[in-house]
Amino acid sequence: MRSPVLRALLVIVLAVCSAGATGFAFGRDFVETPSLANAVAAGALPAVARRIPDDPLIVDSLPGQPGGELAMLMSGAKDTRMMVVFGYARLVGYTPEFTLAPDLVKSVDDEDGDRSFTFHLRRGLKWSDGAPFTSADFRFWFEDVAQNTELAPSGLPPELLVAGERPRVEFPDALTVRYSWNRPNPMFLPALARADPLYIFMPEHYLRQFHARYADPDRLAQLVKAQKQRSWAGLFNKLSNAYRNDNPDLPTLEPWVLRTRPPADRLIFERNPYFHRVDGRGRQLPYIDRVMLVIADSKIIPAMTGAGASELQARYLRFDNYTFLKEGEQRNRYAVRLWRTIAGSQLALFPNLNYADPVWRALLRDVRFRRALSLTIDRHEINQAIYFGLAKEGQNTVLPGSPLFKPEYRQAWATFDLAAADKLLDELGLTKRQSDGLRLLPNGEPLRIIVESAGESTQESDVLELIRDTWREAGIALLPKPSQRTVLRNRVFAGAAMMTIGRGIENGLVFAQTPPVEFCPVRQQQLQWPKWGQYYEDRGKAGEAPDMNFGRELMRLFDAWLGSPTAADRRDIWEEILKITADEVPTIGIASGVPQPVVVGDNLRNVPEDGIYSWEPGAYFGIYHPDHFWLDGGTPPRQSEAAAAH
Amino acid sequence: MKPDAANTADGMAAERLPHYVSAEPFDPHIVEAMTPQQERFYMASQWQLMWWKLKRHRMAVISGVLLIAMYLSIAFSEFLAPYGHHSRHSDFIYAPPQSVHFFRDGALAAPYVYGFDYHLDMRDLRRVYTEDRGKVQPLRFLCHGDRYFFWGLLPGDLHLFCPAAGGTLFLLGTDRLGRDLLSRIIYGARISLTIGLMGVAVSLTLGIVIGGIAGYYGGTVDMLIQRLIEIIQSFPHLPLWMALSAILPVTWSPVLVYFGITLILGMIEWTHLGRAVRSKLLALREEDFCVAAMLMGARPARIIGRHLLPGFASHLIATATLTVPSMILGETALSFLGLGLRPPVTSWGVLLNEAQNINVVALYPWLMLPAVPVILLVLAFNFLGDGLRDAADPYH
Amino acid sequence: MLAYILRRLLIMVPTLLAISVVIFTIIKLPPGDYLSSYVAELQSEGEAVDAQKIEFLKKEYGLDKPAWQQYFRWIGGLLRGDLGYSFEYNVPVRDIVGDKLLLTFIVSFATVLFTYLVAFPIGIYSATRQYSWSDHTLTLLGFIGLAVPNFLLALVLLYLANRHFGISIGGLMDPAYLDAPWSLAKARSVLAHLWIPVIVIGLSGTAGMIRRLRANLLDELQKQYVMTARAKGLPPFRALVKYPLRLALNPFIADIGSLLPHIISGATVVSVVMNLPTTGPMLLDALRSQDMYLAGSFLMFLALLTVLGMLLSDLALAALDPRIRLTGGRTR
Repeated sequence: MRSPVLRALLVIVLAVCSAGATGFAFGRDFVETPSLANAVAAGALPAVARRIPDDPLIVDSLPGQPGGELAMLMSGAKDTRMMVVFGYARLVGYTPEFTLAPDLVKSVDDEDGDRSFTFHLRRGLKWSDGAPFTSADFRFWFEDVAQNTELAPSGLPPELLVAGERPRVEFPDALTVRYSWNRPNPMFLPALARADPLYIFMPEHYLRQFHARYADPDRLAQLVKAQKQRSWAGLFNKLSNAYRNDNPDLPTLEPWVLRTRPPADRLIFERNPYFHRVDGRGRQLPYIDRVMLVIADSKIIPAMTGAGASELQARYLRFDNYTFLKEGEQRNRYAVRLWRTIAGSQLALFPNLNYADPVWRALLRDVRFRRALSLTIDRHEINQAIYFGLAKEGQNTVLPGSPLFKPEYRQAWATFDLAAADKLLDELGLTKRQSDGLRLLPNGEPLRIIVESAGESTQESDVLELIRDTWREAGIALLPKPSQRTVLRNRVFAGAAMMTIGRGIENGLVFAQTPPVEFCPVRQQQLQWPKWGQYYEDRGKAGEAPDMNFGRELMRLFDAWLGSPTAADRRDIWEEILKITADEVPTIGIASGVPQPVVVGDNLRNVPEDGIYSWEPGAYFGIYHPDHFWLDGGTPPRQSEAAAAH
Repeated sequence: MKPDAANTADGMAAERLPHYVSAEPFDPHIVEAMTPQQERFYMASQWQLMWWKLKRHRMAVISGVLLIAMYLSIAFSEFLAPYGHHSRHSDFIYAPPQSVHFFRDGALAAPYVYGFDYHLDMRDLRRVYTEDRGKVQPLRFLCHGDRYFFWGLLPGDLHLFCPAAGGTLFLLGTDRLGRDLLSRIIYGARISLTIGLMGVAVSLTLGIVIGGIAGYYGGTVDMLIQRLIEIIQSFPHLPLWMALSAILPVTWSPVLVYFGITLILGMIEWTHLGRAVRSKLLALREEDFCVAAMLMGARPARIIGRHLLPGFASHLIATATLTVPSMILGETALSFLGLGLRPPVTSWGVLLNEAQNINVVALYPWLMLPAVPVILLVLAFNFLGDGLRDAADPYH
Repeated sequence: MLAYILRRLLIMVPTLLAISVVIFTIIKLPPGDYLSSYVAELQSEGEAVDAQKIEFLKKEYGLDKPAWQQYFRWIGGLLRGDLGYSFEYNVPVRDIVGDKLLLTFIVSFATVLFTYLVAFPIGIYSATRQYSWSDHTLTLLGFIGLAVPNFLLALVLLYLANRHFGISIGGLMDPAYLDAPWSLAKARSVLAHLWIPVIVIGLSGTAGMIRRLRANLLDELQKQYVMTARAKGLPPFRALVKYPLRLALNPFIADIGSLLPHIISGATVVSVVMNLPTTGPMLLDALRSQDMYLAGSFLMFLALLTVLGMLLSDLALAALDPRIRLTGGRTR
């Protein structure tokens, strides 16, 4: 960047900018950010045209004024990571239509059917401290971090391994990075676009001082001791965690940079002067100067939000807080919007197909039993009582917004039909009943299902209450057992829990190119088949191979999807998967589309009226880009005792 | 005879009064004889004295009556509650309390409530209930209502009072599943009231045994136990609760969890009793009757149990009564922290925990009413305990 | 006297060691450890967990070692003044506890003051006018604080204070003053927020104090010297305050030592509800997530304070009450 030609060009641009022109001349005219004007004038920061990349990401048609401070409520020190989620600066990111688009990189060449990815970086893109962002940062990560046995004892991240095969990584020049495999890796780009992304780069210029290979050994030992770590690896991992976002000195590419050193009750994030996006009128994004995260206990956050303590809040607000929040709208100058959620089912029952007890396992594995359980749930009543009738009843599967959707998927076995259920249960041989109508197993034990829950949400216990009554009519007893998160998971994994209740499929708006992770037994944490999932995850070293036909089939289909060459093939595989899911009812869904209250301060603009609130994809607010939000009239007046006294 | 004017100044009559002699026969024992009331007083046992003294403390008496009424109600919860334990009404979620009216058109009438008109406000997502004066729903008494299993065993459906047929009777409103709050409070009393008693029983046992050993033997045993008591008392309760609750396996049924919780509460609260027992024993140990028993060769357990303890049993009862409230409040606190009983078990602690969120405080405040019986219970026990202690005190 | 102090200090050491074992056991009792609950929490929110990071952290934090080794590691650190490292906050324990201590002391001190202020008049009145209706009413008021479930009361007061006085919900001050240097406005904000937790926590302590003061005062008022003083014409108020009250204060000084853990424990529930930046919620979170060093070191600190406090109050008592000095035992 020290070439004299470039410098001359920049001088011309600067001259034009300082003349105050906001219209477009030949190239771009950029407007200096007001809050940084002093620093620029004092020489501490370069002018805006030199801070943004040569070809920044231009977001057209955004009316917005820079300035102001946004307050949000979070619940713990770990929530600093939310600013990485909301900031959503990724190599490639999801658009609001859930397609992938390049963001930090200028373009991505996807060659050979997902076998090779070439990233073209933006020239002039800089880290938040002004250092250039180049392929050296990628090289540093791949060679010195991901393959360093002390920093990463278990090897490369699983998203980079295709059936155990490592990637070929090349750095043709300072602005190009290429990853390639022999087999397709369709999970690679989605992993980069995740809310908690896969990082394949790290700020080399900052982190080399903590790396044993580059740093002075004595100085490194001193730093290790000063930070009370055990080894340089611990120090490095602690300071380099970009997702955790708790190191104010770590350079970042997100729109806001942490300035407060944790721990603190109030965390301040200030704008990143080198952020790579600009709006159509030459203003560097983000509009908002500062974001303040106030840490509060999660139980009191609805109350604080209702008192006007937050200008943008959805986290820790639940559907049943809506009425209370609506009440405070006028007084506290905010509006409550209802965004859509895309979970396959807000809550679903997960019969544990790996349950240890043989009698019960045989029963749970019989598809007629699961269908009968599903038929004896009065979803309409649950919808009315708990979700105000605003949810959509159905099974735990794809949602109508998805191109793969078919109505029969959601309606499969999802009606309230006691007669049909009785018939199925009788077919299974559960005809003997007690005097009070409760059915008996062939061995004489009552048909009592224990449903365990993490015990954290009253919604779960309410739904179980409602289900209990209807199951009783069919002669099935339900025993709810609130437990604790860690204990529950361990019990499920070990096959000691019969059935659990939990959140349904995270993303119900699937496309052909979405990995069918949630529908196939490929993760241990899937509560309906933990041991099969563990088997896949650990590549056969732990867990159990699926010993049911449809389980085997789903696992095979997942691998087929990973290796399928064309979009049409993927679509076909998806349809098979969805059909199997609808037939076999591995999880019993209840209702989806429960609206999520989103509180938006009256002065905050550009927040969609009706959006989708989802973790993955969606990154909560990420895909709507909070850096596009702006405050009309600067920092809104907040309620304070001084103001109230006057 | 006329008084002499010269002698009236010092009050002595100039004249002598007539000499009075009683005509009653002479009874040499008259000094020692007592009136019937005095006789009763001297012959009264320790417990009778206590009872007479207790009656003077009006608040204690009122409290005692209230407590007896509450505990008796446990036996008839199913009968007293207008609705069944788990009955819910999806059409009357978050319904406000209905008031009972006794007058209609200016004349005395059978008690009745007005029915609800209800519509959904889709803008605020609120259920709006309005009283419909047209729907008069008289209460029924000794009626057949929701079916129940009396103490889980005998089926029945007789209630003290129920809503009119097809009507509603939500005297304290309903909760988020449309369950009548009054019925839940009545059922919840079973657990909340007995937890206190059982916890105190555990405390008493531990306190008497450990405090007794400390007081009786003295010396190093005493010092060690003193330190132990110090440690337990000075330890913040919260971590102790959390740790002990973590021990309770999640596979246990709600009843077992309940017992486990009473054990936990008892194991933390015994220290006050232990200290009281210890100090009393230290003092009484030197008394003659105790020395005599020791010389006669009685074993320590017999001495403690038969001779020492009855001496201050009244004091113990008073202290125990004063421990019950902390048990009950401990149960509510444990529920709040998520460590104690949880739905679907119903106790006042669970009810209060469900009420502890901003929706309830702002929009459905009647759900906080379970706090009233808790307050009443705690106050009643405190006053009763105070009265008992005053009554047991031999010095006043 | 000196021998007594030395003996007590010496006994403190094994006491504290025993307490440390208890604390460690308590923290380790719930199943799993910090990392497993961390993983569970992340996965319940749908976030992916970096398995290799977890493995790495396990070794770093020493969570793969047996329990007794972890215990000695912790104790060894404590004896060297190293309070350990907090997994949750990712900084040494000392950095976290420091700021919260000041605010905790403010709240505790204000609460104790409030408790004494309310309990004294009621206790005295109750003792002098025993069994009258005003006695019952005042005692009732004092006991209400004990009876009302304080977590509910705290929330209700918060809400009402916000609706009617505009005081921001939660915290000890308006968020604008958090991390700002102390100023008059900040102090005023703290005071405006302080009265709710002080009332809620303080009221629950008044009942016990009223009862004790009343009992002690009644004991004293029966004694001969009081009757003598009144017979000789001393005005009743002076007869009350000058001698009996001073003697009745005896147990209050004795109880200061044990008051501290009660306040910090009782304050935890209210602090959680009201989101006060005090040590209570921090301790609760640490215990829940099994943040071993934070919870353990803080509890040891509390235990040390308490044991020291007891020693100090014993000494104060001995200094104040000549009977104890002379007869060598504590009357109960």
